[in-house]
Amino acid sequence: MTVAAGLGYALIALGPAFSLFAGVVARKPFLVLTLLSSTLFWLMSLIVLSGIWRGFLPIKSGTWWAYAILIITSVALQEGTRLVFWRLYKKMEEMLDAFADRISKPRLSLTDKMLISFAGGLGHGVAHAVFFCLSLLTPAFGRATFYVERCSKMPFFLASALIALGFLVIHTFSMIIAFNAYDEKKKCDQIVVPVVHLAAAVMMLVNLAPGGCLIGTPLLLVMAVLTLQYCWRVACRRLTEHQHRQLNN
Amino acid sequence: MADAAATVSGDPRGRPTVLDSLGEDITRIVYPVSACMLLVVLLVSLLSSPSAPSPLAVSIAAATGGGGGSGGGDDIPTALVTALTFVVAVTAATFLLALLFYLRCTPCLRAYLGFSALSVLLVLGGQVALLLLSRLRLPLDAVSFALLLPNAAGALALAALAPASVPIALHQAALVAIAVLTAFWFTLLPEWTTWALLVAMAIYDLAAVLLPGGPLRVLLQLAIERNEEIPALVYEARPVDPRHGRNWRLWREGRQPGADLDVSSTTVEVIGEVFGRNLDSNSGNSSSPQVHGVATSAGDANNSRPRATLAAALSSADSTIAQAEEVPVLREHRVAVAEMSVPLIQPRPERSGEEEEDEDGIGLSSSGAIKLGLGDFIFYSVLVGRAAMYDYMTVYACYLAIIAGLGITLLLLAFFRTALPALPVSITLGVVFYVLTRTLLEEFVVQCSTNLLMF
Repeated sequence: MTVAAGLGYALIALGPAFSLFAGVVARKPFLVLTLLSSTLFWLMSLIVLSGIWRGFLPIKSGTWWAYAILIITSVALQEGTRLVFWRLYKKMEEMLDAFADRISKPRLSLTDKMLISFAGGLGHGVAHAVFFCLSLLTPAFGRATFYVERCSKMPFFLASALIALGFLVIHTFSMIIAFNAYDEKKKCDQIVVPVVHLAAAVMMLVNLAPGGCLIGTPLLLVMAVLTLQYCWRVACRRLTEHQHRQLNN
Repeated sequence: MADAAATVSGDPRGRPTVLDSLGEDITRIVYPVSACMLLVVLLVSLLSSPSAPSPLAVSIAAATGGGGGSGGGDDIPTALVTALTFVVAVTAATFLLALLFYLRCTPCLRAYLGFSALSVLLVLGGQVALLLLSRLRLPLDAVSFALLLPNAAGALALAALAPASVPIALHQAALVAIAVLTAFWFTLLPEWTTWALLVAMAIYDLAAVLLPGGPLRVLLQLAIERNEEIPALVYEARPVDPRHGRNWRLWREGRQPGADLDVSSTTVEVIGEVFGRNLDSNSGNSSSPQVHGVATSAGDANNSRPRATLAAALSSADSTIAQAEEVPVLREHRVAVAEMSVPLIQPRPERSGEEEEDEDGIGLSSSGAIKLGLGDFIFYSVLVGRAAMYDYMTVYACYLAIIAGLGITLLLLAFFRTALPALPVSITLGVVFYVLTRTLLEEFVVQCSTNLLMF
């Protein structure tokens, strides 16, 4: 529905990501590189996933359990990618600390580590939004709009933009929680992240029912807000602990 | 909590850590490459009619080595012959350039450089401008156009060729403009020809830079021996620091007062030193003097300007293209492109004499500047532009692949510290990702998205 609508949908999906990028990530070039590499990782995991599932597509529309298996395998693979990303990040952190020691500058502070995990999560979220929403948005710049049968109350583009926004928030902030959990070796947080991801993805199965997208999309946004709030709690707790430790030393 | 909030907001009272400036030179190359690709994608979307979204059969045929030709008179043998002809012509031109450089015929090289830059901007730029005017229905009369175009072309050509007399931003913008125009014209080639050309140029690049008899390597050695720079169009990622508002031309002087600007060691050197240290500490030698020694001696030997820039110039336009009727414009921009194809990337660590202890603990203030040939810009953008003709999903995938390839090349550069070809890794990754996206990813994503199932 014209350029304005197309741009509107693109901004719904990626507007917060853009302001996060401009405000936080663009200031430190290393974070830009982290974002690009985590986007690449997400893309590679998606390609592997589509390679695995290529033989089974197109799935017949009645079989919702096939979609459930697809979602579960996808989430499992992506959580595996997150672990791999964590290992690479640890190696990078060692190299950076070694370099910082050599040039006698301070090592990576806690804020730096959180910023790196934030950039990594934002990369995953941006990759999700770009590949699932933005790449299909081209017809929205034309003259008409598009409705999916099962979702006759919302234009398809609006639904996919809102879902992309929800997942962007979830990916970004769950990466911070996850890296924190791996760092502090907190089992409960380590479990929370995949569970939240899986729950959000499984919630999308609601969209398969006729009219389901009116329930699924707001629920997803609620999950996103919950993730955001949990991440805020984790980050505040960690930072205040760090402050206290520094004051005591 | 106020302190925590202050720490969270990155209060400058906290000591600046390594993270503040690391990776800056890489992003200063990534931004212009991305801008060039973005402009080409925009031009392609506005001006070209998209190629028919081929059914999967064509992609499967591609994956299995190609059967008979696909429709439209664009078949694989023709494509291969065209690509081969182009590579042969570029090789011949590079050898000719090496010969001219050996004979110290610099004025004619410079004249040719100016002629090609001006012709790209005037002819190709004019035609693109006309296409844009007609497509966007902008009102502009012929007289104004005839006044504006030569002036703009002349100014940009001058900015591209004489970087010492214009602000750096204008110089870099002019180079990007030349690359965008040339890349856009390459995307007008038929599909198979474009892909064959990209792969052929990647292989040529690899051979020309790394093989001992390769023309680019010969040229490079000549330039290093004589300590001269080859006249060519090369994008140099000079740090442009708008925050300080200094005279940007300061950087051209060759020595920068270290206290003025935020000088920190470049990422390339960082990676090189870290790798060097890890390797050396494994082998039990002392790392730092060795790495410094190598770098400083290289810097001193080349008089702190070890720049080696390469170009392949086509001396005569008597290109023997059998398929002249196929692409009439091929002749005129072959001239320009062959001139511009500088598939080379090289660091230029520049060490000034003074030691600035306060800048960074290494003890040498240095501003390495990564140079990327304009030919790399062009071929990256051609790949992404051709991907844009299919669908935007391939654009995003190929963009990420190319940036990843560029990153890998820079890592290799830091590791080997010699001139490296920038095309092969990126083009390979780009082509692989294009094929994978088109065959595997698109179906999957469309299936999931239209059912509003995302994860």
